[in-house]
Amino acid sequence: MKKILLPAALLAFPRLLHAATAATSLEGGFKVGPAIILITILILFVLVGIIFRAKDTTDFYAAGRGISKVGSGMAIASNWMSAASFLGMAALMYGSGYHGLAYVVGWTGGYVLLLILMAGQIRKYGKYTAADFIGDRYYSSTLRAVGAIIAILISISYCVGQFGGIGLMFKWVLGIEYSWAVIIGGTVVLTYTLISGMLGVTKNMQIQYVIIIISFLIPLFILTAKFDYFWLLPQIGYGSVVSDAISGLPINETKALVNSLGHDYAIVPVPEYAMPWDPATGKSFFQWIAIAFSLMIGTAGLPHVIQRFYVVPKARDARWSVVWGLFFISILYWSAPAYAAFGKILSAHPEVGALAKDAIVVYTAQLGNIHPLIVGLLAAGGVSAAFSTVSGLLVAGSSAFAHDLYFKVINPKASPQKQLLYARLATILMAIIVTLIALKNFALIGQLVAVAFSLAGCTIFPLFLLGIWWSGSNKAGAIAGLITGGSVSLIAITYFIAGKSGLTLPAHDFISYWLEAWYFAWFGAPLAIIVHIIVSKMTKETPIEIRKFLVEQVHS
Amino acid sequence: MDPSENDYHFSFFKPTTESARHNRNMVVQLVSIWAVAIFGFQIILKIIEKPVPEPALTLFESSWIAIEAGTPSAIDYQGAGQSVLSVLGKIAIKADDKLLLENALSTFAWQLSDQNDEFKSTVSAFEEIAASITDISDETYVAKKNELIPVLAGLFGLNELDVRSKIAPLEVKSSLMESFEDSGMDRMVETMGLYLTHNRSVLTDTKFLGFPFHYFYTAVFLLILFIGLCWLYCIRTDMFNKKYGIED
Repeated sequence: MKKILLPAALLAFPRLLHAATAATSLEGGFKVGPAIILITILILFVLVGIIFRAKDTTDFYAAGRGISKVGSGMAIASNWMSAASFLGMAALMYGSGYHGLAYVVGWTGGYVLLLILMAGQIRKYGKYTAADFIGDRYYSSTLRAVGAIIAILISISYCVGQFGGIGLMFKWVLGIEYSWAVIIGGTVVLTYTLISGMLGVTKNMQIQYVIIIISFLIPLFILTAKFDYFWLLPQIGYGSVVSDAISGLPINETKALVNSLGHDYAIVPVPEYAMPWDPATGKSFFQWIAIAFSLMIGTAGLPHVIQRFYVVPKARDARWSVVWGLFFISILYWSAPAYAAFGKILSAHPEVGALAKDAIVVYTAQLGNIHPLIVGLLAAGGVSAAFSTVSGLLVAGSSAFAHDLYFKVINPKASPQKQLLYARLATILMAIIVTLIALKNFALIGQLVAVAFSLAGCTIFPLFLLGIWWSGSNKAGAIAGLITGGSVSLIAITYFIAGKSGLTLPAHDFISYWLEAWYFAWFGAPLAIIVHIIVSKMTKETPIEIRKFLVEQVHS
Repeated sequence: MDPSENDYHFSFFKPTTESARHNRNMVVQLVSIWAVAIFGFQIILKIIEKPVPEPALTLFESSWIAIEAGTPSAIDYQGAGQSVLSVLGKIAIKADDKLLLENALSTFAWQLSDQNDEFKSTVSAFEEIAASITDISDETYVAKKNELIPVLAGLFGLNELDVRSKIAPLEVKSSLMESFEDSGMDRMVETMGLYLTHNRSVLTDTKFLGFPFHYFYTAVFLLILFIGLCWLYCIRTDMFNKKYGIED
């Protein structure tokens, strides 16, 4: 055979690079039906937000502590079920198969830790924010300020993925460029957050949960019924879809099963979709374990999640709200892999082309030939998921700024009105920063959100874990642990950004693999805990008032 | 030191009260179950797994020996072509691997057509139409594709219900038919092995409620277990609190 250079062949035949695909037709232009559904839902959210608008700072921060445990469970679920859950999880499984399940396990298993180790005790401690707890427990206004800054960074990091999800859905509905979609979507969510405040958001979250879960489940029932699987419980019925993908599916003789583009519901065997750490995915066993672990401890260290426990009346309610919250969350998490499995088969034909993974939930519904209005509802559900989380995150971040930094450290005499003003200014500033980063489109939504989890796992989690369960944990230990966890985070994130910017730093491949941005907490968190303990042992012990409070109030 | 300074020391591992001791034991039990259920299972999965080739890889390896030696028969080209189509149908393939495999497939098709210029022209004509359209439902495009499907299916020995017969027209490229560089030849075995070898074991091959068992365990059962552990913790904590008269 003759030798030629393949790139030269490609240059000579540019049409190879421009084969027609259906990706653009799936994207389409402005979609009237979905747009009306989306706008209606957003107006509904804003109206509910106005009705329950925050009247003072207590309402703004902690929603008056008047929510029942089932309602709080729904609020936890709504707060939690972000664009990463709604859109990102299916994307990860669609792209990386079994590797994506590490995210499912990580984002649910962490609630066991959160409940057993934190929820009741945090409520008993009785503070408003994570930084409040840190400043009080470690008797240091400096640590309070650092805690507030970390909470803001975590909120920003978490929001970036959400804004990406909002952008993708606005892009799909409005048929506009991603950049404009992010800017428009970001503006709408900011307006909504500012108007409603924390009380409105909390009440609203129960409505949002219902909308999110219904919009997610309806297309799934239709898909499983349409493609002849056990549709009464699609969360189990899709098991056969996974098995079909593994063994391959020949063309149906009756031609009855086709996607919306007319392609047969058929696929070559793709065992890599479900086999663990498959070589074809490029993902390893270590990465699976590191991601699951990092997400779990990150869950137990996220300020906006921890903050939820302040809004329930009693510690018992805080505990039970976790059970309810996890149940409500799991309904979505049992369902998301089904979209990935259907998406794998429905998009198998090369003519479908490369689809944006983060929108695979919507594309799957489209390819499954589901009615456009139901697909529109699904997209609106994705936006709602991102909205409910973003509003909680912006409030957590802005309250960290206004309450923990401004009021507690900078100006203790500030009036509640002034605090509220600063909280709102901080919200606007955060939204602008997040929009600018989201425009860069660094990674998949799920991966971007996972960065926030690792950051929380390395910094906040050790402070809460040791602060609650060990009276020997002191200020010096906390500072040392925080520096350690913060340094690991800084290294991992620096290498990630450098890599995305085309720069190669020393030992780049080594660091990027072992401390990748979405799982560096597997190393950073245990190291921070060890350093925290050693330094605490070597330095002056915790003041008796703190120890007394822990024993008599938190653990009695 | 004032004696009170030594009071109020608290540690999870050294509880000072009966209720704290109970709580510690419960937390240790639940966290142990939690850790073993998550990580223990994945470790077992890792320990017992074996790299298992897909039938397409076995077919490719047997065909490739003759192709590499320069003594291939039509059956060898067909076997290798079918195997390559099995990989090209997988969606998630790296761009350079896809190019390599399309090059190999196109070469096999060219050889199977006895280097027929008419065949090459047919493929080329389809490519030109494919490059000119924006909608894949374009009638001319669909007609040309439907003409090419049986031609390629016949060349590669595929029946009409084999999904690979529908993929072939989109993967055979006229520009890549007459050449296949040696470095590409060298990469073929490794590339095919990468996409057609999977970590399997009794846990992945056993079916449960339609799922591969390991998939069901991780995607469905673990979440049920997490809710169960949380529920158990709350029930037992309520009981302890009642027993020891602890008020929230």
